Amino acid sequence: MNNSSNEPSNVPRGSAGSLAAGVSIEDPDDDFGLVARARQGDLGSYDALVTRHRGRIYAMIRNMIHQEADAWDLSQEVFIKAWQALPRFEAKARFSTWLYRIAHNVVYDWTRKRRIESAGELNDGIFERERIDAASFTTPSGGDSPDDTMARGELRARIEAALAKISPEHREAVLLKDVQGLSYKEIAEVMACSIGTVMSRLYYARQKLQTLLKDEYESR
Amino acid sequence: MNTNPDETKLALWLEDELKGEELAAFEQWVAGQPEHHAAREEARRWRSMMAAAVPASEEPPYPEFFNHRVTRAIREEPPVPAVPAKRGFHWQSFFMPLAACAGMVLAFWLGGKNASLTPEIDVAGAPRAIPVEPILYTPEKGVDAEWFTSSKASATVIVLNGVAAIPDATDFSETAFLRELREMDATAGMNPGNQAMEP
Repeated sequence: MNNSSNEPSNVPRGSAGSLAAGVSIEDPDDDFGLVARARQGDLGSYDALVTRHRGRIYAMIRNMIHQEADAWDLSQEVFIKAWQALPRFEAKARFSTWLYRIAHNVVYDWTRKRRIESAGELNDGIFERERIDAASFTTPSGGDSPDDTMARGELRARIEAALAKISPEHREAVLLKDVQGLSYKEIAEVMACSIGTVMSRLYYARQKLQTLLKDEYESR
Repeated sequence: MNTNPDETKLALWLEDELKGEELAAFEQWVAGQPEHHAAREEARRWRSMMAAAVPASEEPPYPEFFNHRVTRAIREEPPVPAVPAKRGFHWQSFFMPLAACAGMVLAFWLGGKNASLTPEIDVAGAPRAIPVEPILYTPEKGVDAEWFTSSKASATVIVLNGVAAIPDATDFSETAFLRELREMDATAGMNPGNQAMEP
């Protein structure tokens, strides 16, 4: 296993990546070299890509479905599907954006299957989180005091409870924008909709969340 | 002339997504509009709160095993077919449709020519039946068969010579299969005196 980098590099380096002659776009994550080698069948390079992006994909899926075990399985499915589709990756977008797109499809396919298995109960209950285990999210960083950590853990629990009350589309827009930091254009690519739709979803999602988190939000 | 930027540009500015000349032009327009600056500060505060509370990246449990499972699944699946290279222009790709068209035209022309040589085509276009001499088969020795066409009866008549006379006593009903009609009865098969039930 290649564990040379556990976190994706988000610092724009201004490097231009390319997979083929004539293709050249910004590659802030510096993924295209690994992608090009993985496309040649180099599993080591692909393993490095998995290591680099698994944290973001897992966090995104986990925040969408609120089930740790399923999020673990679905995250793997994303990387397996990405490997299968790698010959079709054309570097028109960042590799990470492309992974989010696959994750979007995997999560919605999973949701659809779950709806069918639950005898056609067509509601968004699958996405809803009935219990919030704040303790499982604590990942203390070095400089935080225990009080800060606890406060952040509580805030996260409240935000996640509020996220569970909005529609999956609104939740996904907020997570991609406010948590993952994608641009409107990238979110539109991931969710396969127009930028206007993303703006609308984000606006209403934030309105709803701010209402649900009114006390928390106004005290800050 | 309306110099106001559109809603999309305003939304992009609020999210700090405008860059370069677009940003400079927008900043010039928005300089005297404090409500937009306040909205941008609000959006930044919201994003900051969300980013601080919900981590963007979270290592999955057992990360080594996670990678191992992915790698194993990839190894177990059939090899991914390589991306086919785009074909350049080739003279064959241009002439093949032409050759196919020419072949079809030739086939139609030959077909039409042969059809014009065929004399017997009726009005409906269906070919007339060609008269064929029937072959009559008689399994019994000493029996001959002849046939002729009766235009009056609009029928083909077969005459058998040498067949023994059929006796008047022959009961033709014996040669026919008649289904025996039975009344469905739950007690069918049981003897009246319950003898069948006794040992």
